[in-house]
Amino acid sequence: MNRFDLLNKIQNILKDNLVICNIGLPSQELYKINDQPNFFYMLGSMGLSSSIGLGLSLSQNKHVISIDGDGSVLMNMNTLATIGNRAPSNYTLLIIDNGSYGSTGDQRTFTDENTSLKDVALGAGCKKVIECSGEETLNELSKAIEDKNNSYVIISKINSGNVKIDPIPLNPITIRDRFRKFIGIVKYL
Amino acid sequence: MKISKKIIDNLKKGGVDFYLSVPCKLLANMIDILENDKDVYYSAVPREEEGMGICAGAFLGNKFPCIMMQNTGIGNSVNAIVSLLQLYQMPVVFLISYRGTPGEPVGAQGGMAKITEDILQTLRIPLLHCTSENDLDKITTFSKHAKVVESPVAILCDFNLMKDDT
Repeated sequence: MNRFDLLNKIQNILKDNLVICNIGLPSQELYKINDQPNFFYMLGSMGLSSSIGLGLSLSQNKHVISIDGDGSVLMNMNTLATIGNRAPSNYTLLIIDNGSYGSTGDQRTFTDENTSLKDVALGAGCKKVIECSGEETLNELSKAIEDKNNSYVIISKINSGNVKIDPIPLNPITIRDRFRKFIGIVKYL
Repeated sequence: MKISKKIIDNLKKGGVDFYLSVPCKLLANMIDILENDKDVYYSAVPREEEGMGICAGAFLGNKFPCIMMQNTGIGNSVNAIVSLLQLYQMPVVFLISYRGTPGEPVGAQGGMAKITEDILQTLRIPLLHCTSENDLDKITTFSKHAKVVESPVAILCDFNLMKDDT
């Protein structure tokens, strides 16, 4: 199972929640599979999907899923400490861990060597940390959303590999405004 | 405490209701005030760049965020400011203790002080430079301006303005 297969498999659960999606191929693949207004596609700021989702979950009550990658989490590991101390129960961080920088040509990341993001997240203070296969991810994601008392970090271990895909044609303000309209903030669209 | 209280009061009057900080001794009184304020959200964060991301999410969720930091934090955050906050036109207030300005005892702070305003100007970030207590009266209008122009804005507070605010 690669990232495209995984995003396909979990799309029904994603479309019922607020989703912050990592820059590059993850967003492009998600857009191609089933574009939704409640998907916030990152067009820059690699590393910050986890942080953006955390701020969103602290600010409103709907459940938030941050889709992140191993390379991006390695870039912003300090935010795992913030999540471990501050994340509310309407927050789930889904780390799609394929051991590679997929958007830049599948160079290996350190999770393909010695680094365990599960151990890092636990050490950072995250209480509910699940490492699972791509096949198990849908079930783990469902359980995380149903649990109204805890936030979760789910690390989905999958294979590297990408599908050929185009950049997202939406401009950033369109992404912003339709997302905020879905939450009920923007009235003018 | 008088200066710190006035800054927070004026930010709140401007609608700011979500605060993060990476600590600075010049911000310590403001952090104390916010930790005891039940009307707004406050948390420390380990790094400013991450704070920019959390502020972006808070804006998406209908909060008006402020991140408090030293001017060194701008250096840690340039890509997040440009390719997240400015790209999506997100209003966020940066409340910056301007280390390295006259009165600063730590010589090493001078390096970032020399380029702080140049960086903010290069980023085209609207700037309010507070050198005296009277300047703090402009904070409310300036914060509202961030929402009107849908942009991050920066408030610089000089070392000498903050240093005796005990």
